Amino acid sequence: MKLDDLTQIVGDNLFAHRLRALLTIVGITIGIAAVIAVVAIGQGGRAVILSEIETLGSDRFFSITVDTSRGEAPTVDTFRMEDASLIKELSPAVEEMAPVSYSSIVDLRLPESLEKPVMASLIGTTPDYAPAGNLALESGRFLSSADVSSHARVVVLDAGLAKTLFGDAEPLGRQVFVQDNPATVIGVLQEQSTLLGSMNLHYTYLPITFAQDILNSQVIYELVGVAISKEALPQAMNDSIKILNSRHFASTIHYTAQSMEDTLSTVSKVTSVITMVIGAVAAIALVVGGVGVMNIMLVAVTERTREIGLLKALGARRRDIMQQFLGEAVALCLVGGFFGVVLGAGGALIVAHFAHWPPLVSGWTILLAFGFSAAVGLFFGIYPASRAAALSPAEALRHL
Amino acid sequence: MISISELSKTYGAGEASVAALSGVSLEIGDGEFVSIMGPSGSGKSTFLSLLGCLERPSSGQYLVDGRDTGALSDDELAFLRALKFGFVFQAYNLMPRYGTMRNVELPLIYAGVGRRERAGRAEDLLRRVGLGHRLRHKPTELSGGEQQRVAIARALVNDPAVILADEPTGNLDSKAGQDVMAIFRELNAEGRTIILVTHELKIARYAGRMLHFLDGRLVGEEVHP
Repeated sequence: MKLDDLTQIVGDNLFAHRLRALLTIVGITIGIAAVIAVVAIGQGGRAVILSEIETLGSDRFFSITVDTSRGEAPTVDTFRMEDASLIKELSPAVEEMAPVSYSSIVDLRLPESLEKPVMASLIGTTPDYAPAGNLALESGRFLSSADVSSHARVVVLDAGLAKTLFGDAEPLGRQVFVQDNPATVIGVLQEQSTLLGSMNLHYTYLPITFAQDILNSQVIYELVGVAISKEALPQAMNDSIKILNSRHFASTIHYTAQSMEDTLSTVSKVTSVITMVIGAVAAIALVVGGVGVMNIMLVAVTERTREIGLLKALGARRRDIMQQFLGEAVALCLVGGFFGVVLGAGGALIVAHFAHWPPLVSGWTILLAFGFSAAVGLFFGIYPASRAAALSPAEALRHL
Repeated sequence: MISISELSKTYGAGEASVAALSGVSLEIGDGEFVSIMGPSGSGKSTFLSLLGCLERPSSGQYLVDGRDTGALSDDELAFLRALKFGFVFQAYNLMPRYGTMRNVELPLIYAGVGRRERAGRAEDLLRRVGLGHRLRHKPTELSGGEQQRVAIARALVNDPAVILADEPTGNLDSKAGQDVMAIFRELNAEGRTIILVTHELKIARYAGRMLHFLDGRLVGEEVHP
């Protein structure tokens, strides 16, 4: 049989039962669309999260925390204020090091404002934090050593906070109340068009001493540092832990160092697992669609048994019948795949547009989807088709 | 040339098995017009489908032009059906979705013949069976006699040496039946072998040779020169 004849026969047969074919196609469309959308959204989201994380600190960035996986929590004795400067002094691999006291949520308001306070995360730290956290100033200055030693009542705001609190007015030199403690704005950070900003996560930076006064706690949560080079990162982390262990020899805490690289790979692992899990769920939809194809093809074989007998009597070979039925299954899946790509890619693009993500529907994804739908057609079509092809012509002709 | 010896066909297995045909031997020469008669269940249709290689015998030997069909693969049998035999059925067995032209072309599609040649041959044959004015019709728009003539055109499209017809006039009135038989007689005159199953004596008498089947056996033979 020639290809154009096969195409015509397949088309005629599908068109003869167009409603049935359409419903089957819908099943495949949903499956393919779900897979494409999930993969594309997953990849886009992942790319965004990774680039977000990269903006949080330089690639020489590392942090020292307690081992939370062992259930440890920092106490007053875990990190000492002097630990940071000592590590910086002792390890040649460490360029900067800052202690961090932290509160996930504090409220900020203007002195005479009747509006609701603005919520932000508080980071109490030292001047070294700026290079570690990749912070760039829009105006004013960052915290100074003098600020830290004098418990200076000053704050640095990120761009979002400054805008929320002061609008277009100049924030430098103005007063804000942090947890009802008056403080003067000395610096505003540059705006970062990141996910954190769009999620309304705002940060305010205070001298660690002032922060501890406000929070009424001497606990330092972590040390953040910068290695002198990317290559020196492992040494910087090792040195830091060694120094901490020797200074806190009585402590049972397991000091843990994590670089940006580690964070990236962890997050990347987590996001790809999530994508895979959701993708697997979406794939179930595709399998259901495939079973629909198989079902409809088995019905077709039963219905057209007599026709198959006739075609065989007229000289059609096993292979011709096989091709015909497989062709129908694959055609259903390819048409479904086409609409699935349109729907899934469209959905992913819309999500990407509203979430300000890069659109990540690659040609590869589309090609893969088509390959996959053809494979679904072949897989679920092969059993009905071989059943049709194996029919004895005489028996098939006797079939009513 | 068809040569058959001790051909048997049994359906089912064990206790429930039914012998549809047992131990039939005969020869049919090229260009013969043979009719097969017998009551229903006598095995005549089974015999015809064995002749047309629509199924394989349970035992015995069937030679077509000296070739043992038992030794042929499924594809080779399909090839034989496509080129050697033309089938005509009682219920016409036309494809209702296709027009008359495409119905006639069907065997050529599976033989891999190109569109233009197919259309030419189909049109010629439809004209020949007197349906030149029905080229664009669907089978459902035709009378029974016309449908059967389309089926005959389809059977002829591969220019087969043997026409196998199973009760071709069974669904037709006597006028349409006579028209169909006239075509068969003409085809026989061209030198084609016609093998025809019927239970009507009047139809069977068109043939030069009549075979009588009963309970799966060949029980008698008459020859009218």
